[in-house]
Amino acid sequence: MKRNLSLMLVLMLVFGALSFTGCSSKTEEPAAPAKTEEPAKTEEPAKAEEPAKDQEIVIYQNKVEIHDQLTEFAAAYTEKTGVKVTVKTSGGDSPYAENLKAEFQSDHQPDIFVIEGKGGYNTWKSKLAPFEDQEWMGLTDLAFKADGKTFGFPVAVEAWGMAYNADILEKAGVDPKTLTSQEAYKAAFEKIDSMKDELGLDSVVAMAAGPDMRWVTGLHNFNGYLSAGLPYGDTTVLDKLNNGVADVERLTEYADWVELLFNYSDKAVLLTGNYDAQVGQFAVGKAAFVHQGNWIDPWLVSNGVDFKMGFAPHASVYGEHNAIFIGAPSYYVVNNESENKDAVNDFLNFMATDEMGHDYMVNKAGMVPAFKNVTLMPSGPLSSDVAKWLKVENGAYTWLQNDMPDGFGMGTIAPLYEAFAKGDIDKAEFINQLQKKIEEIK
Amino acid sequence: MKKNNRLYYWLFLAPALFAFSIVVVIPFGMGIYYSLTDWTAVAGLKSNWVGFANYKAMFSDFAFKYSFARTFLFTLISVITINGMALLFAFLVTRDIKFKNFFRAGFFIPNLIGGIVLGYVWQFIFKSVVPVMGAYLGIPALEDLLILADPTLTLFGLIMAFTWQYAGYIMMIYVAALLNVPQELLEAADIDGANFFQKFKSITLPMIAQAFTITSFLTLVNAFKQYDIIIALSKGGPSDMYKGEVVNSSEMLAVHIYNVAFKYNNMAEGQARAIVFFLVLSVVSIGQVYYNKKREVEM
Repeated sequence: MKRNLSLMLVLMLVFGALSFTGCSSKTEEPAAPAKTEEPAKTEEPAKAEEPAKDQEIVIYQNKVEIHDQLTEFAAAYTEKTGVKVTVKTSGGDSPYAENLKAEFQSDHQPDIFVIEGKGGYNTWKSKLAPFEDQEWMGLTDLAFKADGKTFGFPVAVEAWGMAYNADILEKAGVDPKTLTSQEAYKAAFEKIDSMKDELGLDSVVAMAAGPDMRWVTGLHNFNGYLSAGLPYGDTTVLDKLNNGVADVERLTEYADWVELLFNYSDKAVLLTGNYDAQVGQFAVGKAAFVHQGNWIDPWLVSNGVDFKMGFAPHASVYGEHNAIFIGAPSYYVVNNESENKDAVNDFLNFMATDEMGHDYMVNKAGMVPAFKNVTLMPSGPLSSDVAKWLKVENGAYTWLQNDMPDGFGMGTIAPLYEAFAKGDIDKAEFINQLQKKIEEIK
Repeated sequence: MKKNNRLYYWLFLAPALFAFSIVVVIPFGMGIYYSLTDWTAVAGLKSNWVGFANYKAMFSDFAFKYSFARTFLFTLISVITINGMALLFAFLVTRDIKFKNFFRAGFFIPNLIGGIVLGYVWQFIFKSVVPVMGAYLGIPALEDLLILADPTLTLFGLIMAFTWQYAGYIMMIYVAALLNVPQELLEAADIDGANFFQKFKSITLPMIAQAFTITSFLTLVNAFKQYDIIIALSKGGPSDMYKGEVVNSSEMLAVHIYNVAFKYNNMAEGQARAIVFFLVLSVVSIGQVYYNKKREVEM
């Protein structure tokens, strides 16, 4: 019996050692295909052909909704140039960040993948190659830059503000252009609230702070604290936050805004609502405002919503506001181990400069492109409003919500909003807790 | 001959042993190693040895301690409700009633539905059906009831969904055990004039003690590891106040570990918590099996 056991252990160790050596030879010598046994056999024919001009780009991206359109565009590109482009997608319910890590552990690393701002950059720093002197870089202000180099190609522009139902506001006699400060919002909310029955509303604002919707509060709403009222690209408040310093005065002003939104929302949607409940309340005309961005366009279009709408600024802090939060939510970045960097650059330039690329971005994928040379107008009801805001001088506040420490927005502070909405904590305690959580960062 | 036998023994064992070590033993060892480093799961980044820092951070984390306590509470209640319901069902479907196979199948079927689907079904019931029922019955309290905004109700909602899913499976084990209780014993007790509860306590319960060992082990482990129903039904919410801190009331350990590892992008710390999770679960379940084994009787 004892001998059996020791034999078993030895066997296990042997197998263990085998598998470990298998692993390490792969990671240590990725450039020597002859030395690794199994992968070499399958890859050799492909590798042999590669120099003979058959370049292939693999894009691993996170937008499920544009997968088909992007694949179609890639096929058209292949037809035109002979460069094969493969689109791989994971996203929506399957978490992209996790899958990307798995993708990198395998031996099929993508040439292009997606990061979402600073957090992703910090994770993937060691894998990124900077862009240098590319044509598209002169056409946008929204490229992702870090340490003085450009790393990210902006996939699209997205924006959020207080999306309003123009018909309801008109009936209530509220001019959306006047909604520029907390006082103006307060007056307008009071007025609309008093006419609720007449207008057929459940509540003035469709707002969600429940467990399903933590990105709305912890990321989007909180971004008002980080960037509202500041010039575009100003990161002073964010830098302070990342060093564990809270701006209490700003937090106090900001808490007034949160309280105002919560006071005029429907309790069921606020506390337990999901995406459909929140957007749905707005879509069927039971709320005059919705705290969402232009990404709800496809939802609205597919559900046949046809009233006029637009964005008004968030009055996240005191003072006058004439800007909505505009930014690029994600960026294409290049894998620095990619053997097809030139092909990747050509492809991205083609997308940004050629009419085919514009047609794909605007008409097919329904995105708002980040490039100034694009003249096509998006057709989505809110996207077209974003295109208008893009032309307003100083009409944009920065997206900084993705540059906070990982998990801080949705994990750490979002439950505070829920507790505040439920009345578990009052405004003073809400400010106090937010301040405490920020100070815990350091 | 004998030598040959031994060779065959190992030859036949080798594939299973190989698979087991590849997918269990080695990853487990790597997991322990990673929990002592600052591993990030980014390929090509070297991880540094940090000793027990991850474990220290865990025990000073309020959310982790709260999650631990909450998991124990959830496990305790669900083990009781699931076993209680399963035993009740098992009694009902082993009696002489019509359609008993139909009932057996009916109770068992929820177990075939995936946890995610089931979570969404119950979420729909709690969010949409309950208020409509309230409005229909004219009970305003029910109409305005936000079950998934109340920490206690949400916990019981989760337990209900989990019981609904799992009781049928456990019932099957009890059915098998109940059918194995010797009828002559029960008959003899009948003749002696024992009533139902006396028979249950003195004959049935000891005779099905073996099943108890299995069922309580299964329910305990599964309740402790519960993840999918929680994600689909409550996403770890709603928030609650505990000792002046805002906490996620239904963020059980499995969910908590996932969040630390992936939401906070803190792989090594999540791994450390998973190791502790494993140790606690092992101790609790081994203790439980040991205790229950002692009560089993052999005929």
